[in-house]
Amino acid sequence: MSERVFSVILLPTSDCNVACDYCFEHKEPHRLSLVMLPLLTRRLLDHIEKEHIEECEIYWQGGEVMIMGPAWFEKAGEIMDRAAAERGRRFVHYLQTNLIGYSPAWNGVIRGMFNGSLGTSMDYPNIHRKLFKGGAAAYTELWSRRIREVKAAGIEVGVIAVLHEGSLEVGPEKFYRYFTEELGLSAFQVNTPFPGGPAKEVAGGFQLDSSELAEFMVGLFDIWMAEGYSLGVSVGPFDALIDNFTGKQARLPCIWKENCSNQFISVDAKGTVAQCDCWVTSYPEYFFGNMFREPDLTGMLKTSRARRDFVERPKHLVEDEDCLSCRYLSICHGGCPVRTYSALGTMMAKDPYCEVYKAVFACAEAHAGEILRARAAPIVSLRQRHEVGVNSTG
Amino acid sequence: MLLVVVAGGSTDGLLLLVAAGGSIRGVPVEADGSIGGKWDRGQICVSEEAQPPLRILPSALAETQGDLPFVAIVRSRQELSRWLSNPLPGLRWLQVEGMLEDPEAWRDAAHNDSNIPFDVVLSDPASEFSDLYRVVDAYAVRAIRVTMPAAPGLTKAIRLAAALRLPVRVLPGQPSAEALEELHNALEFYLHEPSVEAPVEFFHSVLATMSDADADSLWMILEEDPDAFRYYDADGETKVRRTDDFGRPEIAPAGFVDNHLRSLIAQGAECTTCPWQRPCRGYFKWPDPAYSCEGVKQLFFSIQTAGDEIRRDVASFTATDTGILSEPGEVQR
Repeated sequence: MSERVFSVILLPTSDCNVACDYCFEHKEPHRLSLVMLPLLTRRLLDHIEKEHIEECEIYWQGGEVMIMGPAWFEKAGEIMDRAAAERGRRFVHYLQTNLIGYSPAWNGVIRGMFNGSLGTSMDYPNIHRKLFKGGAAAYTELWSRRIREVKAAGIEVGVIAVLHEGSLEVGPEKFYRYFTEELGLSAFQVNTPFPGGPAKEVAGGFQLDSSELAEFMVGLFDIWMAEGYSLGVSVGPFDALIDNFTGKQARLPCIWKENCSNQFISVDAKGTVAQCDCWVTSYPEYFFGNMFREPDLTGMLKTSRARRDFVERPKHLVEDEDCLSCRYLSICHGGCPVRTYSALGTMMAKDPYCEVYKAVFACAEAHAGEILRARAAPIVSLRQRHEVGVNSTG
Repeated sequence: MLLVVVAGGSTDGLLLLVAAGGSIRGVPVEADGSIGGKWDRGQICVSEEAQPPLRILPSALAETQGDLPFVAIVRSRQELSRWLSNPLPGLRWLQVEGMLEDPEAWRDAAHNDSNIPFDVVLSDPASEFSDLYRVVDAYAVRAIRVTMPAAPGLTKAIRLAAALRLPVRVLPGQPSAEALEELHNALEFYLHEPSVEAPVEFFHSVLATMSDADADSLWMILEEDPDAFRYYDADGETKVRRTDDFGRPEIAPAGFVDNHLRSLIAQGAECTTCPWQRPCRGYFKWPDPAYSCEGVKQLFFSIQTAGDEIRRDVASFTATDTGILSEPGEVQR
């Protein structure tokens, strides 16, 4: 059996209970029914069985997943896990939610199906995440209360922050302290923004100046290394980069995979299959097919013309862009297709954040060098002691 | 005893650090079932007894091999599919030629039960290098090595292979001035680029030789020694690599390398006094014994320099390590 893991970003609904400025999703009220879930489960199990994959990771997100309610998830988890066990496979479930709809009624399903942890999102400062009534300030207040509640319930929380102009204005230090000190988090991740939705219809404010963004990211990296790294604070994707440059097995984010198309797919409530949630909610021209209408997911992935573009993209980049001469090719491969597509209207170009990534990679490489030197220091120190000892007794 | 062994390196039942994707006396290495060019540990016993040469044959001829160890050369999707679906017991790996332009073939290779290793051959690195991205999915399920000639585009192909962590075998032949420039650039990249993880042959094994590891000559490293690797053409005729001129009675596969080197020395070729005679054994004097080795000697020199640096570093580390084990005063006493 292969040790490979197949991941599915599963959107049981595109509906949402908040009104964030930068949301690229069409908020359709469609929801995945428990009647259709066994069919979806069977298709997934057929696929991983054909691929000799033992484990399938399900990343539940939306829309907003908590709209489905805890009872729905309890039943959904039962259906999927039982079907997987009958075929000697395993689903591992992850939950990504805005937490706005959280109540203690969720605790049972979070502890059971989601192994006591969840992922959520917040920016700093929050100016774009808004409630329908009350705007950003009300959102921040409610979300902060929810964070305190889930932490009090013993649930482990990871937070994704999307950077925007306001983040760059406050600077990396305040940004870092908000998440680690004000929220008391030991794990968060920073994402670069991109203007989702129809190509080239760029929402203003989400295209950040590359040099300013790079400066912010490097500053944040430096602060994390100085204050959080040795204390076990995890900041993604910096931690994975440190692993990479210190010779450890690194789980780099999908935006830097050599071919994200062999790592995961996204499926929405209607059975639509696309590369990731960004594609499945925004770009019908890049749908791979429909799981409810096509019986063979493996065949769909193998023959989809849309998917072929993902597979062929890196090949074009090393021919037509300057990626081949980049010393970070092995950890980037031209960056994220959807970030490229949403900004340029084509995915056959390198990621617009190329310069930002290079700055972050260089920063990671430098810090990793210091870590490795520090590890060697006790050896050097002993050697110096040895030399002193030799000289003084000679 | 812990020994670093690289593709083509010789082994005798020692505890090894093995570069998967390499080969030991013609047998592709998969220590502890590792794939993907990853370093791994494993106990590999290699018999001291003489082994029959590994036969490398076109797909159609390979059908007759049964349990005998062999490599099948596949040049079409149909041939590939045949060996993936029903391999004979003796099949060691598939030598995949001229198929990088066929995305369907690579999709098939990625979605297949078999984990037979591939040696993917690029005939023209300049035009084919970017196609290496097509093997990524297949590489997730099987060991893959890339073989290419020293030719324009070599450095590009090695850069990309390194980024994908694919082991590489470069067949230098008797390189032209242009090919030598590519080899120098590729060697520089291999020696000094920190992101290189998988071996690039022949640099890797020659470097090991110069870092005091026991390794074979280029003929073995590059799988061109007819005593160990026997190539057959479509008519079933055995061939020594790099020439079709085997009507010559003096060329016999058995003992070919020794005979070739003796002949060169007898002719007073520059091999006689060449400091790189041991790792080379006249490799670059074949098939044209008049080929000037000036350029390739520079390659050897660069590898030797890197080997010296490694040896100094290892010696320094060993001395430091000794310091850890004993208090300074104890060492003095």
